[in-house]
Amino acid sequence: MLYGIAALVSLVGLADSIYLTVEHLTGQSVRCTITSGCSEVLSSPYATVRGYPLAALGAIAYFVFFSLATLAAFGYRSTSKLLTPLVAAMFLTTLWLFYLQAFVIQHFCQFCLLSALVTTTLTALVIFARRTKQ
Amino acid sequence: MKRILPFIIIAVVLGAGLFTVAYLQRAASETPRTPSPAPSASPVASIPSQGEAGAEPAHALGNAQAPVTLEEFGDFECPPCGLLHPILKSLAGEMGPANLRIIFREFPLVPTHAHALAAAHAAEAAGLQGKFWEMHDMLYEHQKDWHEAFDVRPIFEGYAKNIGLDVAQFQRDNTSEIVERRIFLDGKRGHSLGVTGTPTVFMNGKEVPFESLAPDKLKALINNELAAHP
Repeated sequence: MLYGIAALVSLVGLADSIYLTVEHLTGQSVRCTITSGCSEVLSSPYATVRGYPLAALGAIAYFVFFSLATLAAFGYRSTSKLLTPLVAAMFLTTLWLFYLQAFVIQHFCQFCLLSALVTTTLTALVIFARRTKQ
Repeated sequence: MKRILPFIIIAVVLGAGLFTVAYLQRAASETPRTPSPAPSASPVASIPSQGEAGAEPAHALGNAQAPVTLEEFGDFECPPCGLLHPILKSLAGEMGPANLRIIFREFPLVPTHAHALAAAHAAEAAGLQGKFWEMHDMLYEHQKDWHEAFDVRPIFEGYAKNIGLDVAQFQRDNTSEIVERRIFLDGKRGHSLGVTGTPTVFMNGKEVPFESLAPDKLKALINNELAAHP
């Protein structure tokens, strides 16, 4: 049940990071515009890793999480073990990105914050799922 | 059935995700950026002829006969413009004035940026004393220092002093009609070319997609254009 909820929540993260990836690739929100201002966060050097948009890495992570959580929800026990290291890595990345936004770039981007919220929720769900099983 | 159902769900989500990426990317690339299609066959080597003229003479680095002209519509307060600045500067040095000409057009995004208009005024006022590019570099390179300042006037006057301007003259020019008119004309040219954001760069009259403004991609584009106009 908890894994099912986690899978659904990760879909929100997946949609969010897909949106950010496309925005990044097409330069829509990276440049400054008359109507919407500009994103200091997405145009910062921290938005890419070796030239790849960070949001794309997020999308892959959410998709892997979704797949593992779906399998776990359908009774594939072994995959639930993989969720713990994955969600731990995602949570640490989120903390680092939050730190960058708060103290280095000194601007927050709302879609990045949504992703942070989703990852935190997923971390809580995975911890809770492991606790209840034990 | 229950054993394969999760795999079906995963496959459906993967398919939907890939479809969304493809669809959104296509929708974005189909959004018309320029009102009229740029003529592809004509070998434009000077200032593109379409659109309003913009302020004359334009602020330009490099030879007027250079085969490649980059025309940047910029806002000194815009962070991605600040990031583009060192890229253009190093390309100008690398390609040389005989090959590459760079034009700067004022496109301050008001009211998105509180000080963009003041910065455009400062650059144009410096231009009246023949030091537009010195002020241009100063503004971009110290963007972070004035971006969040409450009053930018003393900061810009400091820059004026640093680059060797007559500060009293600079203060007078800052509010002059000629400065205002230049900014207005550049903005008018930008709007007539369909510019809605900064930085927007045209290479020989054709808009360079924002994602191609990365150093390697832009260099490759310029080299291609140089090869086409030997």
